[in-house]
Parts: sequence; C-alpha cells; structure tokens
Amino acid sequence: MERTVTYRQSRRGGGKLTQHLSSWLIMLPSILLFAFFLWGPLAQGIVMSFFTTRNVSLDKFVGIGNYASIFKSQEFWQAFGNTVMYTVWSLVIGFLVPIAMALVIGETTRGKGFFRTASYVPNVLPGLAAIILYTAFFSAEETGVFNIILKWFGVERQSYLTEMGLVIPLIVIISTWKGAGATALIYMAGLSGINPELYEAATIDGAGIWKRVRHITMPAIFNLGSTLMILQIITVFQILYEPMVLTKGGPDNASLSLMYLMWRYAFGGRIEFGKAAAAGVIISLILLLFTLLYTRVNRRKNDWEG
Amino acid sequence: MWDLNKPRKAILRTGVIRDFDTHAIGVKTGLVIIYIVCALIAFVSLFPILWVFFAGFKSLQEFVSSPTLLPQALDLSQYTNTWSQLKIYNNYLNSVYHVAGSVVCALVFNGLLAYGLAILKPKGYKIVSSLVMFSLLMPATISIVPLFINIQNLHMGRFFTPLWLASGASAFYVVLFRQFFESFPGSIIEASRIDGCTSLQTFRRIVLPLSKPICVVVAIYAVNGAWSDFLLPYLVLDGTVWETVMVRLYSFSSQQTVNADDLMRAVVFAMIPPILLFFLFQKKLTENVVVSGIKG
Repeated sequence: MERTVTYRQSRRGGGKLTQHLSSWLIMLPSILLFAFFLWGPLAQGIVMSFFTTRNVSLDKFVGIGNYASIFKSQEFWQAFGNTVMYTVWSLVIGFLVPIAMALVIGETTRGKGFFRTASYVPNVLPGLAAIILYTAFFSAEETGVFNIILKWFGVERQSYLTEMGLVIPLIVIISTWKGAGATALIYMAGLSGINPELYEAATIDGAGIWKRVRHITMPAIFNLGSTLMILQIITVFQILYEPMVLTKGGPDNASLSLMYLMWRYAFGGRIEFGKAAAAGVIISLILLLFTLLYTRVNRRKNDWEG
Repeated sequence: MWDLNKPRKAILRTGVIRDFDTHAIGVKTGLVIIYIVCALIAFVSLFPILWVFFAGFKSLQEFVSSPTLLPQALDLSQYTNTWSQLKIYNNYLNSVYHVAGSVVCALVFNGLLAYGLAILKPKGYKIVSSLVMFSLLMPATISIVPLFINIQNLHMGRFFTPLWLASGASAFYVVLFRQFFESFPGSIIEASRIDGCTSLQTFRRIVLPLSKPICVVVAIYAVNGAWSDFLLPYLVLDGTVWETVMVRLYSFSSQQTVNADDLMRAVVFAMIPPILLFFLFQKKLTENVVVSGIKG
C-alpha cells in the first residue's frame, strides 16, 4: 500500500491545494465527532429551549415559555440560591485548604513525597464511588462512621445530610476531600518556582518567617490563586453527582443544585427536554460570565509574566 | 514507592523556612507542628479509603448492628461472595470494553486533530482551533440532553459506540497533544515532507514514534475517565446487558436493591482499578497536573 514518491513528484502532485485538502481530510473525522458530541448539542440545546418536546423530537414553539416557567418556579430560585451557597462554601473551605496544604507540605523535608501522594490519592477515585463511600460516613444510624467516632467521646448520634443548614457545607467538605490534594500539587509547583535567594535576601533585611510568607510567598502565588479560584467557581457551579447520589436534592430541596434541577427536568419522571434545555442555557450563560473573567485574569497574568 | 521525586542527595529546606532558621527553638517546635499537620492531612486523605476496604470484610449483620470501625475478622469470602453473587465480574468486563475502546478513540481522533492544528495548519485551521478552545471552557454536561436525544434518534443507544466515540472528542486531550506536537522542531516535519512522505505517512512514521510520552499520559487519563464516567454511560447503557461498574453502582445506591455491606464492597471493587493505575503511573499523573494545571 505504500506509495514511494520522489521529491519532484510530490511537489508536482501535492500542490498547495491538495495539501490543504488532505490536511482537512485528516482532521475531518475528529471534527465530525466534536460537532456531534459537543458543538451540535450546544446549538441544539439553544434551539430546543424555545420548544416543547414530545418523546425525543421538538413539538411546539413556545418562545420564551420555558424560560418564563422556570423563572416563575420556586424550585429554580431555591436551586439558584443553593448553587450560590455551594460556591460560597467552597470558597470558604475548598479554596483555602489546598493553599494551606501546599504551604505546610512544602516546608517538610522528610516524607514530602508521601504527604503529596497520600493527599492526591482521593483525586483518582471515581467520583461516584467516593460519594457513595461517604453515605456510610454520614449515615444517621449508630453504625455510621462519624456516629461511631462521636460515641467514643460520649456524644449522641447525629443525622447529617438531613439537616437543612448542614447539608451544603458537608457536601462541600466531601468534594474538598476529593480535590484538595490535586489542587495543592499545582500550588506546590508554583511555590517551588520561587527563587530561594529572595527568602535569603529578605532574611538579611531582617524579615522573619511570617513576613517572608506575607511578602514573598503570598504575592508569588496570587495570580495562580485567582486563576484557580475562578476555575473552582466554574466547577462547583456545575455540582451534580453529590446531591444526586447523597441526598436526591433533599432535605426539602435544600441541596438541590442548578445542574441537578436540569437533570430532573429531563430525566426525573416528567420528561421536559425543552425546559431542561432552557435551564442548560441559563447555567451556560452564568458560566460564560465566569469564563470571560477567567480569560481576563489569565491574560493579565501573562502580561505580567511576559 | 512513595516518593514522587527522586530522593535528593542532600536534604535541603526548600520552603519559606531556611536552614539557618532551624536553630531557633521556636522554629523547631513550629516544624514539629508542621509535621503533625502533614500527618493529619495524610490520615484524613487515606482514612476513608482504608476504612471502606476493612468495612468490606463485615457481614451484613455486623455491618448494620455493631458500631465498630474495624471488622471482627478478615473474612475474604465476603468479598468473593459479593463478586460472584452480584455478578460484578460481568460489569468489570463491560467496563474493560468501555475503557479499551475509549482509549483507542481518544488517541486516534484527538491525536489526528491536534496533528492538523499544530503541524499541518491548513488554511482556516484557526476556526477549528478556537472552537476546540471554546469547548474546553464550556461545560459538556450542559449539552447532555440534546446529545442524549441525538443518540436516541440515531438508534446508537444501548451499546458502547457513543461512549467510545465521545472520548474521541475531548478538547482537553487535543490541547495536551497539541502542546506536545508544537514542541517538535519544524525541520523534522519539513525533512519528511521533502523525502516525499504524505501528511498521513509523516504522522505514522515521524510524529507517532516520537509521541509515546504524551500518548501514555492521554491513555492514562482516558482509562481513568472512561472507568469513572457515569452520566452518559447511565443514559446509554442502563438496563442493558452492557452496564459498566459505575452504572451498576449507581443503580445499587439509587434503587437500594442491595444490602449496605454489598454496596460498600461494590465501592471497593469500583475503586481498585484507578488506585492500581495511580500507583503504577503516579509520577506521570502528578507531573502532568503540575504542567497543565488541569486536573483530569
């Protein structure tokens, strides 16, 4: 099957145009896949959000009807408020924990590899398996892991995921447990890029350890931190598995997130694909704002570095 | 086994605290505290995983009635019973099919697209390139409803095909490949062209042999991604004979069709392959987190 072509032939036969065409042919299958799996559905989703659906096809054009009924529903505002709360809690807990971990592990000499590896392991677990694992930890029975531990200290057994005010922070703790080690690794890479001479020069100028952290370490990871913060907001805004598996959105919709609401519109009994698509568009628009912010921050960072 | 880095010859402090600080008594106690905190971090990270492995040895009776962390006996038959009675091996086999096809598609399609975008660069490639970057930032989960409908309309559901092909359209993998290809010196590609290779031949003979490192990285991500994937597999495979481990696990937990102890053992079975993969390739995985700044 191999074609041997001399230089001249290839110049003659493979003119500019054929070259471009053959390049496009090489990329074509992949482009079709992207179109089918990502770009197409995105466009279809926008169209679908203006229709009602029957089975798996468009039915009637309803204009902004789907959007109106979503905005009118109490469920949506609950889910929106909850999603904001997920984000806020993840900034309180999930944002600072990896930074602290990176700082602390960065100061160790012996066992650094072990600490890094150990804190990274939860990240490789399948999300679903990790979440189901935590159902045993937060079980309200006396055989739940946290209740067993509480009993050692003589504390009464508690219910966890059925507490209105507790459910979102607990879910955030679970996702922090899973993701913090990997994020800390990124910070550690940033920290190791700091020129040690800076610390030494600062010490000669009389800076103690805290001053060095404050004036050298923190500014050095500030850009990285702002980038990762926005990425984290984008991720948390799409939280779905946790409420879906742990609480089914309960108690009383207290852990219902926007993505889970979208999922419920589509696959939760009443099949309302149009409404689900509209919810998807709303979520996308919010995320698009964050994404623009992200590219903004990233560009600024590159300007400074360049 | 644990070290992510090769051990340094002389241990030097690399953080904020420098060697000259460590003589002060306050700093010394500070270091002790730091080590205690690190040990705590490691403990909190590993404890739930270790716990579930041990809890898997409990019988149902023990699991629901005795409030202890550890099992009374390490009775391996609990695991083997769950494995055979719930026919988890079937789901394992299905997951292997899912993973294998996904890895092939991830390598071939994303690799070829990145080759086009990084090296061939035909007229107009920038449009595709920015569309790919756009999908890197846009959440894929949003389009899952229309995607599901398309799959239904094409009667592709109830088998792995859409799952395999979906991993061939990953903006993340394209970016990984692309960064790697862009580091090639242009002269190699030019030389092969002058020697008369077509674009595809250049890819097969020059680019591919040089790309083993990035192929390994993408393959690891693809294995882990396909193994852990659950939303699309659930929509496509639920209720068929092809249910993967994750799909089965979800139906266990959502429909409460199994006992609590079996559920925990199923969790363990779902965790074992990614953990093994991690310890085999931990250096590659953690390095790449650092390089790309993106968690897989």
